[in-house]
Amino acid sequence: MRVVIAHCQVDYAGRLTAHLPMALRLVMVKADGCIAIHADGGAYKPLNWMNAPNRVSERENEWVVTNPKGETLTITFEEILSDSAWEFGVDPGLQKDGVEAHLQVLLAENTDAIAQGLTLVRREFPTDIGPVDLMCRDADGGAVAIEVKRRGDIDGVEQLTRYLERLDRDPTLRPLRGIFVAQSIKPQAKVLAASRDIMCVEVDYDELRGIESPVLRLF
Amino acid sequence: MKFRCERDVLVEALATASRAVSGRGGALPVLSGLRCELKGDQLCVTGSDLDLTITVDLTVSGSGDGEIVIPSKLAVDIVKSLEPGAVSIETEESEAKISCGRSQFSVHLIPAEEYPQIAMAESEPLTLVASEFTDALRQVVPAASTDDSRPILTGVLLAAEGTGLRLVSTDSYRLAVRDLPGTAVLADGQNVLVPGRALNELNRVISAAETLTLILGERDATFIVGSTRLTTRLIDGDFPNYRGLIPQNQPNRLTIGRSQLIEAVRRVKLMAREATPVRITMREGGVDLVAITQDVGQAHEELDGSYQGEELTVAFNPDYLLAGLEVTPGDEVSLETVDALKPALLRSLDTVDFLYLLMPVRVS
Repeated sequence: MRVVIAHCQVDYAGRLTAHLPMALRLVMVKADGCIAIHADGGAYKPLNWMNAPNRVSERENEWVVTNPKGETLTITFEEILSDSAWEFGVDPGLQKDGVEAHLQVLLAENTDAIAQGLTLVRREFPTDIGPVDLMCRDADGGAVAIEVKRRGDIDGVEQLTRYLERLDRDPTLRPLRGIFVAQSIKPQAKVLAASRDIMCVEVDYDELRGIESPVLRLF
Repeated sequence: MKFRCERDVLVEALATASRAVSGRGGALPVLSGLRCELKGDQLCVTGSDLDLTITVDLTVSGSGDGEIVIPSKLAVDIVKSLEPGAVSIETEESEAKISCGRSQFSVHLIPAEEYPQIAMAESEPLTLVASEFTDALRQVVPAASTDDSRPILTGVLLAAEGTGLRLVSTDSYRLAVRDLPGTAVLADGQNVLVPGRALNELNRVISAAETLTLILGERDATFIVGSTRLTTRLIDGDFPNYRGLIPQNQPNRLTIGRSQLIEAVRRVKLMAREATPVRITMREGGVDLVAITQDVGQAHEELDGSYQGEELTVAFNPDYLLAGLEVTPGDEVSLETVDALKPALLRSLDTVDFLYLLMPVRVS
């Protein structure tokens, strides 16, 4: 990662032309070649940028960045205050708290949180269009396909519907029903699920993790 | 089969029965339709999803008995859209012709022989005063859960209580209890769990009726209001033991004007976003209501009231608090508490027939 803080102006030429007048800015050159010019504001969004692949031609007080489409970004430096480069190595990626995978693990360990009497058959139960998150059997022995999402919207219901359609072709799984599980489920998704006889269950992620919930219950 | 009927009368019957029809018919596609059976001048319209069945009888000008199943939503939409006046429906083979004035529709029917036989509950009919029962439903049904993962809580408990009837519902965050003294329709110790959804629909159809008839079967209950019959499956299972949750002696007691508190909570709630609770600080002479949502702002309001006990701040879900206040009768209410984490008891000063128990929200 190369980080340059400099008084500079930037000119873009391509589908249109854009000009950033001379001012103090941060120029970031990432290891993959992506270049972004930031001001001290405007949140995360750069003032201008050029994605990789591109070619940087460094001349005295001027960089010309060109991409395969023929677009150019010309950065003209008046004064460079800082120019440093750092080796970051491979990034481990963003790990969000409460991702679906963790929710799926927690629910696989505690299927009663979804519905009483469920027994886990396996996680990531395969279908020919992709695995459904959990396959369980209910107290009567009926197969139950469960799709887990952090936020339950219509797309999730559609996804589970597709799985149910494929799984229903397997006579060993019939009769089959579906349960859509999420931390919160949008009203439209609930309506769609109800119309398809899919049960909706909202689960408390903190409660599953054993963290005391601020929401108190009578029982 | 052919009959004529005034549009408004027919729309009301079709729309009422269609409220029991499930979106896509569920396991039986025929259930996406309304069953219309004509005998002489009597038309019987039935909608059902097998858990809930609504049947409406109406008098029409009929000629030729028969039975059809017509797509529910389409039938309601068509008849509703017609000009005021007499609507004529005539069946020809597998189609129904709906006409009114210069409008004509031809609708493909669903084979009527596939429609399941739906029996009414069978037992001695019991008569209830409709206005009292409606009042009780209005107070209790909203507190029933709509979460199908805990089916027991989606029901309203109807239980014999002394010489009267008690209705109880809870979604585990709040509990509503309404007594109807003198309404001795259940045997001593008898109780049934009626789906809240069915009682919501019952509330819609009761309207101006003076009495309603209840027939309790082993697994079903039928409510009859005028020419409308509503049959629902009862929920099988044990309702939670709610009696132990109702505190007998609360050390802190706030007495306050009901409408004042409702208005104040509504105002302060504007700043209670994303599940933010409203904090109520009870002190001598009144209460302070506060709602703070980070990055949005805060609201504060003071109200006069009478308070006995230690100064205490309790946070509540404002929607649940409002729901309880709105159905508690009388001009003044009492809010009794133990501490910030134990259930608070909301009552009217005018009557002991209704109580609303509400769990606080834990705040730092």
